[in-house]
Amino acid sequence: MTDQLIDFFLLMKSELLLLAVIFIMLFMNITAKENADGTPVDNNHSILVTANILLLLNFLAGFFMNTSGNLFGDSFTSTELTAFQKNILNLGTLLVSLQSYTWLKTHKHVMEFYMLLLATLLGMFLMISSQHMLLFYLGLELSTIPLAALVNFDLEKKKSAEAAMKMIMMSAFSSALLLFGISLFYGTMGTLHFQEIPAALNGSDLQLYCLILLIAAFGFKISAVPFHFWTADVYEGAPVPVTSYLSVISKGSILFVMTTVLYNVFAGMGVEWYLIICVLAVATMITGNIFAVRQQNLKRLLAFSSIAQVGFILVGMSGQNTEGAVSVTYFIIIYIFSNLAALGVISVVSALTGKEKISDYKGFYKTNPMLSWILAIALFSLAGIPPTSGFFGKFFLLLAGAGNGNYTLVIIAALNMIVSLYYYLKIVKAVFMDANEEPIPTINLAFFPKAGLLICLIGIIVTGLASGSYNYIQELFASL
Amino acid sequence: MMSLGAIFFYIISAFILLMGILAVTTRKIFRSAIYLLGSLIGIAGLYFWLEVEFIAAVQIVVYVGGIVVLIIFSIFLTQQSGKEMPRTNLSRNIFSLLAVIAGFLLSCSLIHQYGFEAGSQPFDNAVSRIGLYMLNTGKDGFALPFEAVSILLLAALIGCIVIAMKSVPTKSTK
Repeated sequence: MTDQLIDFFLLMKSELLLLAVIFIMLFMNITAKENADGTPVDNNHSILVTANILLLLNFLAGFFMNTSGNLFGDSFTSTELTAFQKNILNLGTLLVSLQSYTWLKTHKHVMEFYMLLLATLLGMFLMISSQHMLLFYLGLELSTIPLAALVNFDLEKKKSAEAAMKMIMMSAFSSALLLFGISLFYGTMGTLHFQEIPAALNGSDLQLYCLILLIAAFGFKISAVPFHFWTADVYEGAPVPVTSYLSVISKGSILFVMTTVLYNVFAGMGVEWYLIICVLAVATMITGNIFAVRQQNLKRLLAFSSIAQVGFILVGMSGQNTEGAVSVTYFIIIYIFSNLAALGVISVVSALTGKEKISDYKGFYKTNPMLSWILAIALFSLAGIPPTSGFFGKFFLLLAGAGNGNYTLVIIAALNMIVSLYYYLKIVKAVFMDANEEPIPTINLAFFPKAGLLICLIGIIVTGLASGSYNYIQELFASL
Repeated sequence: MMSLGAIFFYIISAFILLMGILAVTTRKIFRSAIYLLGSLIGIAGLYFWLEVEFIAAVQIVVYVGGIVVLIIFSIFLTQQSGKEMPRTNLSRNIFSLLAVIAGFLLSCSLIHQYGFEAGSQPFDNAVSRIGLYMLNTGKDGFALPFEAVSILLLAALIGCIVIAMKSVPTKSTK
């Protein structure tokens, strides 16, 4: 019995630790002291320090004592791979938390911010570990509904509320599609266990229809074209830290799950979903890039660029081999570092000056050389220029995509990378070369955002150059 | 010749669909809520027809009793319930109608084509079994999803409070 109990705690370690953090924060909220007018005593500093330390501990604990096994009648699984994926998300959340320091310092609801943020993370963990459609669905909801509240966290801004409304409507719609698909699946198969589904697939038209509904629901969450309409508005309206969380962590987790589900559970319908993924990839890359070129608001630009990045990831996913799964995971790590570095700079500037347009960033290098370099390197990585890790990430994605012999797809992806260079370099040009009478004033970074940006910077350089990182992920997939 | 059961099924289904159509086409939002109520009651009727009385009771308690009342509350708090909503333009109506019909026909034809067979096993739906499965940690148990729902509800509660509370502190400081 004690062995079983120890097993239980080890297998559910990441979830339980996260729950512990959530409840510590909630109890701290009860005992927190307030000034007479309801503002926190020391500008939230102590709360934010505690939160970041807890998240750091949570991240570090993710490296130890990872075991494999199933729980709850095989509906929950934990392997080295899921532990690794969860820890990537832990790291990403820590980085988002570090970067949101400047914004949260003046916010009245810091505890609630963390509670909602970590609840969504818990949902993602459950989703990654799920081996049952019901648990998967609940994880998906848990990772979306609190996020809609987070999108609304710029409480005075109407745009923020509008974005939250749009997001919750869209996620309700996609959930409906998913549930309809799942219930029809259940009708045809009589089981929703991931392990039992492969044997129950019979390739009938109805099951294909269910698969399309399932992929449509995934498409909404990763904002693949044509399911992307909510993305730009929500990203623009949401506070920048929430935008980074949405575009990186939330998307990354869904991509992890999508890879697992399509590769393992629906391998028997590989021919069908290969075509769907190819069409989605092409549409997503082209639309994302074309719209990104036109944007003047940096947040909107990064929203569309993140749509385009998903297109590249789908190219890798269409490889249908181990390299496909490995390169997707590898690219998500790189994407977390690169996008968080870029959005981190924007987040700090936006929190302190409220400026978010590309033209506002003219002459940024004169006043903030350090931040300019970080932004430039992050953008280079997003564009896929060597020696930043973005190059290696995209390289492996295209290589995996080419493994299936669809060279048209790879050529389209390569052409799109050139288009994406244009708008990324447009920002770099504004930052470094354009003159400006009133540039953004010099920004003194607090310790936490600085640390967050430095981790991102190191990540961008190291994950690309250290070939061990790719091999490590490959071993994780091979060990399954 | 249709059996009596089949006739009942079609009557209930037609009622559900009719109420659903009325709910989305009426221009008074309060009536829309009431039609939704009718549709949900119809679904409860469908559950009774299937002889799953417990699910039917849950449907009535949760949806009819709880959710529709919540919807009506929020309509009273936010909308002018007597006023008519602005008329939607014709092209949008036509296209949404086409989308609905296409989706409906596609789903129907696929389901019809699949030809579901009636199961041979007897259907045991005792309430005690539902309870056992819901809190069972073993195979086919749903203890973990149950706990996940509780976290989801907690998060939703906190999210709602933060959003709804927003104007209070600013007023008190001014």
